[in-house]
Amino acid sequence: MNPTVALHEIWGEPRGRIAALILLLLAIAAAVGPVFLADPLAQPDILAGSLPPGVGHPFGTDQLSRDVLARVVAGARISLSVALLAVILSATIGAAVGLLAGYWGGWVDALLMRLVDGALAIPRLFILLLTLAVWERIPLLALVFLIGATGWLGTSRLVRGEVLRLREETYVRAAEALGARRRHVIFRHLLPNAVGPLLVASTLGVGDVILLEAGLSFLGLGVQPPTPSWGGMILDSKEVLVSAPWTGIFPGLAILITVLSVNLLGEALRDALDPRTA
Amino acid sequence: MSRTIGYLSAAMLAGIAVPANAQSAGAENSIVIVTGQQPTTPIPTLMEGAAASLGNMELADQLFLRLAGLGPTMLTAGDRGFVPLLARSWTRRDSVTLVFDLDPRARWQDGVPVTSRDVLFSFQRAQNPAVAPRLAALLQHITGVTAEGDRRVVFRFSHPYSEQLYDATFHVAPLPAHLLDTLPPDAVARSSFVTQPVGSGPYRLVRIVPGQFVELAANEKFFLGPPKITRVIIRFATDPDARLNLVLSGQADAMDNVIPPLDNVRRVSADSSLRLIPVPSPALGFLLFNQRDPADTSRPHPILSDARVRRAITLALDRSSMVRVVFGNYGEVPYGPVSPVLWIRHGAPKPAQQNVAESRRLLAAAGWRDTDGDGTLDRGGQPLALRLSLPSTSAVRRQLALLVQEQLRQVGMRVELSQMEFPLWIERRTAGNFDIDFGSTSQDPSPSGLSQGWTCNGGTNVGHYCSPRVDSLMERAVLTRENPAEAWRQVLQQIEADAPATFLYAPTYVYAVKRRFRDVTISPASSWQRLWEWSVNR
Amino acid sequence: MRAWLLRRVMQAVTAFAVAVVLLFFLMRAAPGDPLSRLSENRPLAPAEVATLKARYGLDQPVGAQFRSFLRGLVHGDLGVSIEYGRPVTRLLAERLPATLLLGGSVLLLNFTVGLWLGVRQAVRHGQREDRWLTTLSLAGYAMPSFWLGLVLAWLVAIEWRLLPPAGMEDPLLSSGAGLAARTGDVLRHLILPSLTLSAVSIAATMRYQRAAMLDVLRMPFITTARAKGLSDRAVTWHHAWRNALFPVITLFGLWLPILVTGSVFVEAVFAWPGLGSLAAAAVGGRDYPLLMGASVLVAALVVTGGLLTDLAYALLDPRVRLA
Repeated sequence: MNPTVALHEIWGEPRGRIAALILLLLAIAAAVGPVFLADPLAQPDILAGSLPPGVGHPFGTDQLSRDVLARVVAGARISLSVALLAVILSATIGAAVGLLAGYWGGWVDALLMRLVDGALAIPRLFILLLTLAVWERIPLLALVFLIGATGWLGTSRLVRGEVLRLREETYVRAAEALGARRRHVIFRHLLPNAVGPLLVASTLGVGDVILLEAGLSFLGLGVQPPTPSWGGMILDSKEVLVSAPWTGIFPGLAILITVLSVNLLGEALRDALDPRTA
Repeated sequence: MSRTIGYLSAAMLAGIAVPANAQSAGAENSIVIVTGQQPTTPIPTLMEGAAASLGNMELADQLFLRLAGLGPTMLTAGDRGFVPLLARSWTRRDSVTLVFDLDPRARWQDGVPVTSRDVLFSFQRAQNPAVAPRLAALLQHITGVTAEGDRRVVFRFSHPYSEQLYDATFHVAPLPAHLLDTLPPDAVARSSFVTQPVGSGPYRLVRIVPGQFVELAANEKFFLGPPKITRVIIRFATDPDARLNLVLSGQADAMDNVIPPLDNVRRVSADSSLRLIPVPSPALGFLLFNQRDPADTSRPHPILSDARVRRAITLALDRSSMVRVVFGNYGEVPYGPVSPVLWIRHGAPKPAQQNVAESRRLLAAAGWRDTDGDGTLDRGGQPLALRLSLPSTSAVRRQLALLVQEQLRQVGMRVELSQMEFPLWIERRTAGNFDIDFGSTSQDPSPSGLSQGWTCNGGTNVGHYCSPRVDSLMERAVLTRENPAEAWRQVLQQIEADAPATFLYAPTYVYAVKRRFRDVTISPASSWQRLWEWSVNR
Repeated sequence: MRAWLLRRVMQAVTAFAVAVVLLFFLMRAAPGDPLSRLSENRPLAPAEVATLKARYGLDQPVGAQFRSFLRGLVHGDLGVSIEYGRPVTRLLAERLPATLLLGGSVLLLNFTVGLWLGVRQAVRHGQREDRWLTTLSLAGYAMPSFWLGLVLAWLVAIEWRLLPPAGMEDPLLSSGAGLAARTGDVLRHLILPSLTLSAVSIAATMRYQRAAMLDVLRMPFITTARAKGLSDRAVTWHHAWRNALFPVITLFGLWLPILVTGSVFVEAVFAWPGLGSLAAAAVGGRDYPLLMGASVLVAALVVTGGLLTDLAYALLDPRVRLA
């Protein structure tokens, strides 16, 4: 399956096009938007408190009188980049391990899956806390790597499950009987069909990572305040959920739009890869 | 499949329809209090280490009575102003000897009278560093506790000082010797006494339901008058939103501090069945400056060892507005390290107002100028950049840190926030690995506690602040028995002048209590201590 | 089969053992120790530190601590919690019923309602119902659990006064009340936290089930079945669904530990006395014995979940060979 052909197929389909456009728009807004908007860090009138959406503040202000729209746009940079990169990393590792374990079977499968079991038994939190003992401040890229490297475990089990089932399908057996090389079987036959749970995991993972990053900043990992991030804004809105819901609703909507777009993109990708619908 | 869904939904609705007869807490002479701290071992002399928690202490206050209690002024110095409890009266024989006469009506909840033997036994255990290291340290000035008959106890102290009565009464509530003195100290923690304690207080423990609530029943024979509220439930919920929800939905009758967020005050006020009660808090928040270099504690801090810079930081901040934003009308800017619970607060001078011009002048005088026009001051190629460390567990400090950062940015200081998990924050703080530490303490009513943080050898003095003058002024204030208030004022003035920290907030706690409770007094040192005096309207 | 099962169980035990060892040392490698929390307001005098360290066994070298932990583990003794001063096994046992109740109800709702909706979506693929459910499920997933919880608590408990906003039982319900009343009381308290936690996870189950069903529905044997004249219901549930179970079984195995950890946020917001909040507090306080106890429990559930999943694969699809 030629990657350029696949991209072409995605663009051709209306869902894929919409999703790609939305994500592109978000990226552009993140990059260029701050120029046109208020300073996301400025606290012009702290005694005025949190104002509802209105003139001058389309998304309202938060408890420290910072403009919510400016913060949502500024937060896009961190949240989008961390989430998308970390999920791509998780998906790749998860798929690789799952395919390997499912297809090779035997001791490879046993070893990999027991490692996954062991790793699942250790809370992600411990590993991440440990890194703080070593580094004082963790650069963002290292954080993305850590999140991606600790988030693939469930995905690998899901992919392996699919591969176990697909391995016995007639067309796979046929290909093997005809002498196809293992790599060919994996990429041409197994992967396109095992991609279902992988795409669901990735879509859900984007939402997960955005919120995870915020939780991590509470531990001293991740971005520190006052740098805005969507997840951080949502966590901060917990206190004022009833009195100033707009501080949480707008970043929440941003996350939802992102997750929906990634979902659409994933479905388009799956249709593009599926030999039956290609 | 749809049928299964149908059955499930019907079952859920049936659950809702179950009559809510036990839902309203106003049915009897009972009160449901909701707090954030769960008691584990509410037994005096056992509250060490992790058991020295607010939850334990507040519950112990219901079960065990002290010899005497703090009066409404919270004065800890001198012999006057204390409220007689187990001790009916006390006299002073000389400058190092106090004599207490126990109330002959005082009884343990099993009927046995409270005698001097109980007091002796309790102090014997409390002053044993192997059993109770924390208490032993607090009671170190008591050299002898002896009995003269069944009802008279004599305390001898190592030297004359103003808080002798406080030391003799506040830290230890007596335990029943007739039940415990045959048990070795470490066996007490494992004995049935912990789950079924026999105390001298207005309430006795009925049951502890782990993770959920504690139930108390009134001691009908309480010698100071039986409590009118016969059943007390103390529920715990660690999440403040959960606590507020319990009160607003009518499932709980009282809760301690409703702030933060400030909006909770409005929500509680909107409920006509609830009353807001402001109570002085023992809390104090401050920005502590590290006067040594975090990278090498033998060298002074490159920026903060200069008192002008420290004073400039204090003057650059609009502290009263910041307190208003977070606490509304329920907080003040402290003068010196003084929370509202300390009696030395009365008569203290007003804290300095924001003065940005003066702040800039001080910084310039210290050699800081913006030579490269980037908005941040610099000196000798080094920018005026500092790191503010805080634990992520405190919502108040998280919010204030952002305000501080922004306001200091206005005078050209670049402050980077470093919020982290609590144990890591403590570790870094103790190791001196910080520039500015956003600290908060919960103070004891005695001002002698200030020596921990603000004397040269103080145990919590992690900022390496050392002023021999403050040390000697504080020593004098602790010892003096005439006009200690003036002596303490001098201590505070010197501390403010030296600016080892910016004292940021001293909040007032705001309690919410159902209006049907009358004669309500909340004790600042231990919220529900006077619960036995409250009454209920049906 | 039996040989495989035996081998598989041995592997699970090995994985569990390695995890326990790693957990023990990782915990101690993280910054901070049990005494950190105690020294915020007042310093611990060196004498006090020494006494407390000896009391909690922290003055021994790490290897010795590990050995005594292992010795205890073999006898079923997980030590004494530093925070609570009581045996860890007793603490875990106290919280287990509440945890199982919440986790159990969530798993039940998930694997009934979630499965059913996912299949429904796949069958009505591309139609309006499918699109709406997709948006709704993704919204439910992307929404943080404490939001839904707080909004539900505010609406249902405060505004409408239908259900209690927090806790597991009503403390004023006297111990004289009958079993039926007490059960009803607990169920009333269970509804909101259960709904909150389920909403998020049902969304995930729906997505996975839908994707798996879509894959299966496109296969040739489905066309054959329809051509043979089988009803839609038979095709969906008897032929298609059984082949679409693998991802969901995997999910079940992955979520088994949730029975224990629950969701820390939901437990906090609803003051539900489960193991999740106990463990979370233990992390912040570095309560090593309690933390190890909870972690050992979770580790056991993780490897058991994996084992059950593999077993289910083998039983469900005879073609699958796991050897």
